[in-house]
Amino acid sequence: MTQPATPAAGAQLTTTKTTVEFRAALVAMAIVALIPLGVGNPYWLGVLIVSMYFAILAGGWNLLAGYTGQFSLAPATFAMIGAYTTGLLGTYYNVPPLLGIVAAVVVSGLVGLLLGRAVLRLVGPYLALTTLSFAEIMRLVASNTIDITRGDLGLGVAGLPIGRLAWYYLFLAVLVVLLILFYLLLRSKAGLFLQAIRDDEVAARRAGVDVVFWKTAAFTLSAAASGLAGALYAHFAELVTPELGLIAQTGLILSMAVIGGMGTLAGPLVAAFLVYVLSEWLRDVGGYQLVVFAALVVIFARFFREGLWGLAKAAVRRWRQA
Amino acid sequence: MSAINVDLAVNGFITGLFYALMAIGLSLIFGILKIVNFAHGEFYMVGAYAYTLVALAFGVPVWVALPIAFLVGALVGWATERTLMRPLYAGYTSWGLMRDEYAVIVTFGLSLFLINLVDKVIGPYAYRGPPLVETSRVVLGPVLISGHRLLAAGIAIAVILITAALIKWSFWGQQIRAVSQNRLGASLAGIDTAKASAIVFMLSGGLAAFAGALLSPVINASPDVGIFPAVKSYIIVVLGGMGSVPGAIVASLLLGVIESFGAVYLSYQYRDAFGLILLMLFLLFRPQGLFGEKGREV
Repeated sequence: MTQPATPAAGAQLTTTKTTVEFRAALVAMAIVALIPLGVGNPYWLGVLIVSMYFAILAGGWNLLAGYTGQFSLAPATFAMIGAYTTGLLGTYYNVPPLLGIVAAVVVSGLVGLLLGRAVLRLVGPYLALTTLSFAEIMRLVASNTIDITRGDLGLGVAGLPIGRLAWYYLFLAVLVVLLILFYLLLRSKAGLFLQAIRDDEVAARRAGVDVVFWKTAAFTLSAAASGLAGALYAHFAELVTPELGLIAQTGLILSMAVIGGMGTLAGPLVAAFLVYVLSEWLRDVGGYQLVVFAALVVIFARFFREGLWGLAKAAVRRWRQA
Repeated sequence: MSAINVDLAVNGFITGLFYALMAIGLSLIFGILKIVNFAHGEFYMVGAYAYTLVALAFGVPVWVALPIAFLVGALVGWATERTLMRPLYAGYTSWGLMRDEYAVIVTFGLSLFLINLVDKVIGPYAYRGPPLVETSRVVLGPVLISGHRLLAAGIAIAVILITAALIKWSFWGQQIRAVSQNRLGASLAGIDTAKASAIVFMLSGGLAAFAGALLSPVINASPDVGIFPAVKSYIIVVLGGMGSVPGAIVASLLLGVIESFGAVYLSYQYRDAFGLILLMLFLLFRPQGLFGEKGREV
């Protein structure tokens, strides 16, 4: 729980801090890119692909909650919206998957724009309750409009004519591109605007930040990223169910961001892999995964607010001093 | 009013009484800490299990099991406050940033933790709690009702009235209301704000657990049994005005009756969505609720 020592060190921190995190995230992604050289097991490759799905969601949610301070409880819902967009377009209008994925990004981004616009003035518990209700309503709609979505049975979606390894690198490529986009965004003035809004909205507005625009933009971007992840996942799993939008899924995304360190670029991405791979392993050892992660979320939020990234940073600092 | 409408109204009213037991505690917590407790449903679940297991496994009479459930809920509430809520107001300055987010994360995490812990330790199977009385049906004019439900409704009314009176007139209740109005002012006046928060969490946990115990013969105790009543109580505190106890009681009864009619006359499939849509509309357009005062931004 050590804090940065001097204000002087903090004055120049925003850009350099983000750059350090970006480099760490790139190193982590490079390691992920090398994993298939050693692991050929399609089951574990599948686990890693799903980890990347969650990494995109956790990264997108982190942009909204960690950097802008808008604590939405609907990231999984936007993934579900994206997945259903491409799934329904493919089923009823024979839209090819690639076009469907683009449409999914647009539709989930638009829904995010509308929701972000609507909840603009809500903070803290009000925002959490509103987005939670939105999430549940969407899920109820998806599972009750059985004529169209086939309800809880799920909707079959066309796959892509590529193998598991190609899927692996496709997900990785999308993840890296998003990572670079987020980095460029956060390193620019926009990043400062978003964090200024998070730290003190009134002060940010007084200083001339277009709060309405940037809050809505963060919501839209985050929703579009989630929609992209959901659409990719739909074609990978070849099935869409309302379960994608379960609150428990949001709980998993939230726990990744919290354990990794909210408001850091690298933390949530790395934690997504750790949490999901560990949860698959724990599932084999007795199914305690959700107990463990829920406990970790509470412990990290209570005692290690900067997450694993913060712990790693503290360790490096101690090592340098020694 | 035809017979079926009277029946729907009475049954909705009784459901509303149980909602009120949940919602009062949630509203008190919001009042005193300005947070939404996302683990509130798990206090209910703990009560349902405490009552059911104590009565079934140890053969404790139901009239003893009921207060035990209240005590267990109060204990869980107290432990939650001591371990997780203190940072919200002790050493407030360093925690001011992201305070709301901390509260959401930590209560959300606690909720997931308790649900999955019970699921692994006690098992995912539902346990039916023993009813207070065995009489299966009582006929009151046009209304047909089970003996347990009637008795539980009577107990709920008594508990709600006692709680409301305690909050209104007792020394502790006045302290709690003072802290809800202005934490700093209350502490300057010599009120132990930490103690007030602890009492609120104990009362809130106890009431929710009590609701779980009373309903366990009807809605069997299972790990995720608390989610449904928790969602109802979120809707209720928003309708009634967040932090307002009288508002929570009125909104509970209202929601109980509306749902009772809605499930018959409107869509049964979407009965759960109506309340949520109401919640969103209220938060977007009338965040002070039906009766609440307009909040001041701090």
